[in-house]
Amino acid sequence: MNRFACVCFGALLLGGCAQLGVEPWERDVLARAEMSLDAHPVEAALDDHIYFSKEATSGGRGFGGGGCGCN
Amino acid sequence: MNEDRKGSRNINAALTAASCALLGTAAPPPAKAEELPRWSLDSALLYYAEDNDRVQDVSATIAAIRDFGDERSLALTLSADTLTGASPSGAIASNRPQTFTTPSGNATYTTAAGEVPLDDTFLDTRYALTVNWSQPLGRAYKASAGVSFSTEYDYTHLGANLGLSRDFNKRNTTLSFGVAYSQDDIEPVGGVPIPLSEMLDVGLQGNKLGTDSKDVLDLLLGVTQVLNRTTVLRVNYSFSRSSGYLNDPYKILSVVDPLSGDTLVRTPVGDGPDGIYRYESRPDSRTKHSVFAEMKHAFGAPVLHASYRFMTDDWSIESHTLEARLRWPLGAASYIEPRVRFYTQTEADFYRSSLTVIEPLPEFASADFRLGRFDASTVGFKFGQQTATGNEWNVRLEYYQQTGEIPRAQNIGAQSTREQYPDLSAVILQFGYRFGF
Repeated sequence: MNRFACVCFGALLLGGCAQLGVEPWERDVLARAEMSLDAHPVEAALDDHIYFSKEATSGGRGFGGGGCGCN
Repeated sequence: MNEDRKGSRNINAALTAASCALLGTAAPPPAKAEELPRWSLDSALLYYAEDNDRVQDVSATIAAIRDFGDERSLALTLSADTLTGASPSGAIASNRPQTFTTPSGNATYTTAAGEVPLDDTFLDTRYALTVNWSQPLGRAYKASAGVSFSTEYDYTHLGANLGLSRDFNKRNTTLSFGVAYSQDDIEPVGGVPIPLSEMLDVGLQGNKLGTDSKDVLDLLLGVTQVLNRTTVLRVNYSFSRSSGYLNDPYKILSVVDPLSGDTLVRTPVGDGPDGIYRYESRPDSRTKHSVFAEMKHAFGAPVLHASYRFMTDDWSIESHTLEARLRWPLGAASYIEPRVRFYTQTEADFYRSSLTVIEPLPEFASADFRLGRFDASTVGFKFGQQTATGNEWNVRLEYYQQTGEIPRAQNIGAQSTREQYPDLSAVILQFGYRFGF
């Protein structure tokens, strides 16, 4: 039952998402480098490292933080 | 498009692909098939400094991406950082000077009356390396695989990760899945203390064992969705389970009188602690769930990047993180980006500012402020400029501040009259340069 619900939810989500978005020729703004969600990976990794060592939460954006004896 | 702009976009496209590999997330579809430079490099020099002679860290990072065409790329990241300074030990301030044995067990250090004890023996250098490969898999999928390694004096990390993503709906929707596993070895200075054992006199190591380890499994499910011509949204769910040695081997708790709240006094034989302190004890597993959402929206030329993260775990910690950045172009080649971040967390259910001498020892206890209740905020800005050759240099300056409190019910006797939860302030200064060839 749970699996069925998950599949239905996934289908609904994808179906809903199909109503969103743009045509390939409308990607002029999205194609700008600063519109990438991962425009500054090194800075994001440094931030994860800082906050991982000072707070009880890490990651979220990706597999952030970790691999450090600082926490 | 002139050659300079083209060059810069090429670098950014390669960096984006590499960043996705690094972060274990799905790559957005490329804007346009172009001939890429073979190598793209992103470098940063970071200076992090806390006030009052607490932690200072200088780190250098370089990420190099080799593009092999057809969306296949190899990303290498190398970083080195040096850490010095003092860190709160977990012991509380007292009405008299306090002497502690250093983690090595070879010497002592003393904290003045009324001051929160800081252990100033920290000094470490860390080297980290990550390698990631990403490539298309069939027509619709993109796969990535990577390994990570880091080493410092008392800690070694070895990890591996895999990622898979698929585009739907004319590449407006991307579903991604990632898994990462790591095995870390902890070899503290002086050995791993037995949890809740007492700090001993100089030269005595009966409460220290050799080394220990932990492993961490991370899973990530993400959806990236183009909402319209100017807005893109990403939502991630992450699961993380750590097992093994999760203590901070250098953190202690003060054992206090149940009425006065003062640390119990002992007389060392030779050199040693003049109060009773016990090493912390955390559970040997921790399961975290988090939801992270971020959005980028272009208001004409300026771009707003906003994100929110909620985390909950089985140590009863809950946290909320809110971040916003507004990238504002200054002329054709420069930008300024003011940014703010707010963070708040609740305390772990075993967080204790001190232990009383009359109670039976609890199974778990930690006075580490990072497991306590606190709020934090970061404010700052970043400035970046593109050079004539399409490279970019940037600088960011941020101010980070933490304000915490001990739960009122945990205050005993005169403890509330002394400083207990010292505020933390830090400056973050970073220089970055990205280039390709």
